[in-house]
Amino acid sequence: MSTPARRRLMRDFKSIYHRLLFCFAFSIALQEDPPTGVSGAPTDNNIMIWNAVIFGPHDTPFEDGTFKLTIEFTEEYPNKPPTVRFVSKVFHPNVYADGGICLDILQNRWSPTYDVSAILTSIQSLLSDPNPNSPANSTAAQLYKENRREYEKRVKACVEQSFID
Amino acid sequence: MESFEQNDGNRDELIIQQQREIEKEISDSTPLVSEQLPLNCLRAEYEGDEIFTAKIQELAKKYKFIRRTRPDGNCFFRAFAYSYLEYLISNNSAYQEFRKLAEASKEKLVQLGFPSFTLEDFHDTFMEVISRVSPENAEGTAKVQTELHKIFNEQGYSDYVVVYLRLITSGKLQEDADFYQNFIEGDFTIEEFRHQEVEPMYKESDHIHIIALCTAIGVGVRVEYLDRGEGSLVKAHDFPEGSEPTVYLIYRPGHYDILYPN
Repeated sequence: MSTPARRRLMRDFKSIYHRLLFCFAFSIALQEDPPTGVSGAPTDNNIMIWNAVIFGPHDTPFEDGTFKLTIEFTEEYPNKPPTVRFVSKVFHPNVYADGGICLDILQNRWSPTYDVSAILTSIQSLLSDPNPNSPANSTAAQLYKENRREYEKRVKACVEQSFID
Repeated sequence: MESFEQNDGNRDELIIQQQREIEKEISDSTPLVSEQLPLNCLRAEYEGDEIFTAKIQELAKKYKFIRRTRPDGNCFFRAFAYSYLEYLISNNSAYQEFRKLAEASKEKLVQLGFPSFTLEDFHDTFMEVISRVSPENAEGTAKVQTELHKIFNEQGYSDYVVVYLRLITSGKLQEDADFYQNFIEGDFTIEEFRHQEVEPMYKESDHIHIIALCTAIGVGVRVEYLDRGEGSLVKAHDFPEGSEPTVYLIYRPGHYDILYPN
């Protein structure tokens, strides 16, 4: 059945797919590694549940990490945001123990003009720029503010864990 | 292997869950837009309340009917859109002008920095709705009115219209940021205000939303304020100030419905 939510998710998917193709074509032409970023696709039998991957941003302790997420949409998408959750363990001030993410655009600042690419890109920049003032993981928030070395050590541990997951 | 603190429960999701339950209760019991109802039906809600009863009597001298909208935070936008499109059904030249404005609005929003890929989805639906309520329909005005009512009670269409009006409002705030900054209380920048109070669905509208939308579309709106204020007179405000109203709304604290003048 085609509902507004499903129609829109097909559009989101096409857009992500075209962007990835473009990136790969571009990197082959330049003989470079493909730019790392974000990627996502619906699960096999359900367009309302997506799997996604975010690559840890360069020049941050998350670099080289490949973090898996699930995105769950309701029929109210894009009027309401989806529920996004890390499947990989992520040690970060704004990520809950269960993988839930504390990010304003997924809550009170959601705009129906955001699509899946925009969501994933925002989560990727949250990895680079945590907001320790609204912590979902108080230990991570405290270490981020007071003991950056220890924070980075624990982040790197979850980066290594992300290869195995 | 990392260990995580267990006491950091995921509060946000619990709050969102609770909000959804409340919203569902409202949506199960109220249509998005009701049929036209006699204005006096308001009296039943305030039985025994002298101030409101007197004010409703006063209001009934000027208005015959009310059309209720669902109290979901989108009521201003939904009421405005319904009422204005209903007006356009019997005003072909205004309709043609609005259609042109709506058609051009997408390009304008893209220039203001809205992502064209997602904007297109809302704009297409908005234009489809406008086409479906064209006064040039050979089957006559009554038929088009029925169509309008049907569209506005279909969540998919109705909500997309609300989204698009929110985007037009947000675009106007950005375009004239220097002016609208004066209306914003606290430390909010226009940018923050747009992202937190205008673009998200279900966020209630204030004067600033009304002024920005009316100005962007070039439509006058009269709002009758039914509240506990002194006297038996119902205060009315015209937006933008001094304009000739084509849309009439009633405001009761937290909610807008549509009014029909005598």
